[in-house]
Amino acid sequence: MKNSVSLAERHYTGNPQKNSPALGATMAYMGVDGLLALLHGSQGCSTFIRLQLSRHFKEPIPLNSTALLEETAIFGGWEHLKKGIAKAADKFKPRIIGVMSSGLTETFGDDMNSAWASLLQERPDLAATPVVLAQTPDYIGSLQEGYLRAVLALLETLASEPAPREAKTVALFPGAHFSPADVEELKEILDLFGFEPLSLPDISTSLDGHDELEPAPVVQGGISLSDIRRLPGCKAAFSFGPSMTGVGAALEKRHGVAHHQVDSLTGLEAVDAFILKLAELSEKPIPEKLLRQRSRLLDTMADYHDQLGTKRVVLALEADLLVALTGSLTEVGAIVQGALTASPLGLQAMPPGIPVAVGDLEHLEDIAAGSHLVIGNSNARQVAGPKKIPHLRAGLPVFDRVGIPQKVWVGYRGTQQFLIDVLNTMAK
Amino acid sequence: MFVTLSKLELKDNCPLEDKGAPKLCMKALPGEGAERSCAFDGARVVLMPVTDAAHLVHGPIACAGNSWDNRGAKSSGPELFRRGLTTDLVEMDIVYGGENKLTQAIIEVANKHKPKAVFVYATCVSALIGDDLEAACQKAQPHVSVPVIPVNAPGFMGDKNIGNRISGEVLFRHVIGTAEPEKTYKPAINFIGEYNIAGDLWGIQPSLDALGIHLQACISGDARFDDLRTAHRAQLNILVCSKSLTNLAKQMERKWGIPYIEGSFYGIHDTSHTLRAIARAFDDPGLMKRAEAHICEQEAKIRQIIEPYQKRLAGKRAVLFTGGVKTWSMVTTLKELGIEVLAGGTQNSTPEDFLRMKALMDPSAEIIEDTSAAGFLTLIEEKRPDLIVAGGKIKYTAHKTRTPFLDINHGRNLPYAGYQGMVTFAQAVSRTVFSPVWELMRQPFPPVGGEQA
Repeated sequence: MKNSVSLAERHYTGNPQKNSPALGATMAYMGVDGLLALLHGSQGCSTFIRLQLSRHFKEPIPLNSTALLEETAIFGGWEHLKKGIAKAADKFKPRIIGVMSSGLTETFGDDMNSAWASLLQERPDLAATPVVLAQTPDYIGSLQEGYLRAVLALLETLASEPAPREAKTVALFPGAHFSPADVEELKEILDLFGFEPLSLPDISTSLDGHDELEPAPVVQGGISLSDIRRLPGCKAAFSFGPSMTGVGAALEKRHGVAHHQVDSLTGLEAVDAFILKLAELSEKPIPEKLLRQRSRLLDTMADYHDQLGTKRVVLALEADLLVALTGSLTEVGAIVQGALTASPLGLQAMPPGIPVAVGDLEHLEDIAAGSHLVIGNSNARQVAGPKKIPHLRAGLPVFDRVGIPQKVWVGYRGTQQFLIDVLNTMAK
Repeated sequence: MFVTLSKLELKDNCPLEDKGAPKLCMKALPGEGAERSCAFDGARVVLMPVTDAAHLVHGPIACAGNSWDNRGAKSSGPELFRRGLTTDLVEMDIVYGGENKLTQAIIEVANKHKPKAVFVYATCVSALIGDDLEAACQKAQPHVSVPVIPVNAPGFMGDKNIGNRISGEVLFRHVIGTAEPEKTYKPAINFIGEYNIAGDLWGIQPSLDALGIHLQACISGDARFDDLRTAHRAQLNILVCSKSLTNLAKQMERKWGIPYIEGSFYGIHDTSHTLRAIARAFDDPGLMKRAEAHICEQEAKIRQIIEPYQKRLAGKRAVLFTGGVKTWSMVTTLKELGIEVLAGGTQNSTPEDFLRMKALMDPSAEIIEDTSAAGFLTLIEEKRPDLIVAGGKIKYTAHKTRTPFLDINHGRNLPYAGYQGMVTFAQAVSRTVFSPVWELMRQPFPPVGGEQA
């Protein structure tokens, strides 16, 4: 089998599956309690992100903007950034301010660190509010890149000091492809082994669509600042999704926390490897509940092996999710006819033998003919609809199906749910 | 939190008496959290509903990637406008410039998708690195059989309104008047600033048909490019979305002698009022008679249908948080349902919109100055309305206040324009105001203080 999809070369992107890095950074920031995100760019940049994330998660997205206008194109936005941070701190009293840059400010080269340092000299009182600065130019990568950079910035800014070693805490770095319910599932698995999981970010308590008691203009739920500061003292760290390797590695390098890379948490063998690692770390037997879930998953695989086997699937997803889902599909005998990723970050972990390329949803049109299933975000309906191919929603944005934040596709239970979703979608 | 109108700080180039183009009247401050948009978005709001054109965004992924196919403008035919097309500038393009890539992209898009025209949008980054949009379009033009039209409205030029205005200029300079219709009609009108959100246009069309009025072009809801080219053969322009395209209406008046009137099709009163104004503008006794008969018949019919909703809704109190024409037209529409408007806020309106809205509202009602999420929450806390009418941006924040919420902007699925739209609107308002869900949300759980038996 050839290992790449050959795509017609063109100078434009048609029906992009890419989202901007700043959008990914915003997602990461949404998993930190009391944080207010501030995008250094023009107003449209933040409005588009807010709308895109809102229609996916069905939640308000506390993201402000430095509201750059024409004069900043000449004089730069440095002063605007200072004003923006000061205003956000004074007006909204966030516990943390999470800043990210845009294509505009990176192009004129605003130095965010010096702006923050300069503001601190003018306003020493602001030192009480930590400011995280992530560089996320629009023209480098996609959602995953921005998410990664924001998580790294959070870690490096807020968890730079050593912390007392704890016997039971485990650091988790879920990738941008984890839904709120995925993160929750992951934390519960750790709980079953007697660990205290600290997830950075933790969108399971902020973007999970709960009815908040007090509506607020900052993030409600998510990992707390004090828990982020405990990360350097963790017993072990896990990064989920190939794009996230660098985060656990950074924690290991700086604070000596043993780091384990988990490329995928979907698929029997992938979950097995993770569970065995947890059993080894905890020196405990695998909990009965998980064995039961594993047994159910295997039963589903047996019951439907015929409906899944040799079914041809095309996928267009960011690399982390692509790696996870293609692994699970090939494990049950399905054939990945073609896989398209938004950007190359994380692609090195693709299972061998799968034809893969960096491409958009117009490319997906070119490779979808003859397949039994399209897996992609809601925009992929422009491919699946006219070609009358069943379409399973995955990735971001998903705006025409409900329950996305509650969807679990990780762990044994989640893998079983993924296979059920595949089967039900094809049955329609 | 609030300001009186006299205290509104207007930018100096924004005098109240100028009936001209839209203005950027209150600047957003960095970090303030005003949920507004940019000029690029404003340009696309106007031009994107042109259904059979290709819309190519020249910039890095953020501008198109986060936002394509996110508005509710409907088409009765071509779907090309839904496609997201962008040069997707990457680091090397930023360093070496993206002009040649753009020229190639225009040619490839035209070849592959066979559009009736290609609109090419500048963005902050492509403008900043000095890509010459006009030059790239000109270079591509000989290789493309349809018009290639530059839209130079990078986001940093300002708010959405500025982008609306620029796209008006684009239509005037490059599109309208570039072809003659096969047949001319009288009376024939254009709508300006009607985007066919959720099919709004199709709610107005039956009234035009009943009156025998030909719609030459709708700018730009459900528009075909070739129809837009012949818009100069209409005899009257109806400016539907308040001020966003006043400049276009004025230019068309100057060049082709087409007068314009303002109108709204939200609510019974405004729909009738606008139809009457159209008939009057043509000074045709037959048309005026037909209009009166149609209005009389429709009003009686619709009022009868909405009466039960009205009865139930009478005395409810609403907060309105929207933009443009909807600021004032929605006040009237809500009043027709017996709903009192407690406060109104707007993000993209002009001082005239404010004044009009203010005149229609109860003297004690207030204009919301702080349009951030925080300002919004304070307002709801203070006013405790029975209903919030606003755009999708505030929807999920509104839900946290446990207040009935109705989406009035481009994210909605239902058309509210025209007579039939009023029925849809009345039903939608009732559905949300009387939904049992809000009460369930308000009840504490477990029950507190002696409520447990």
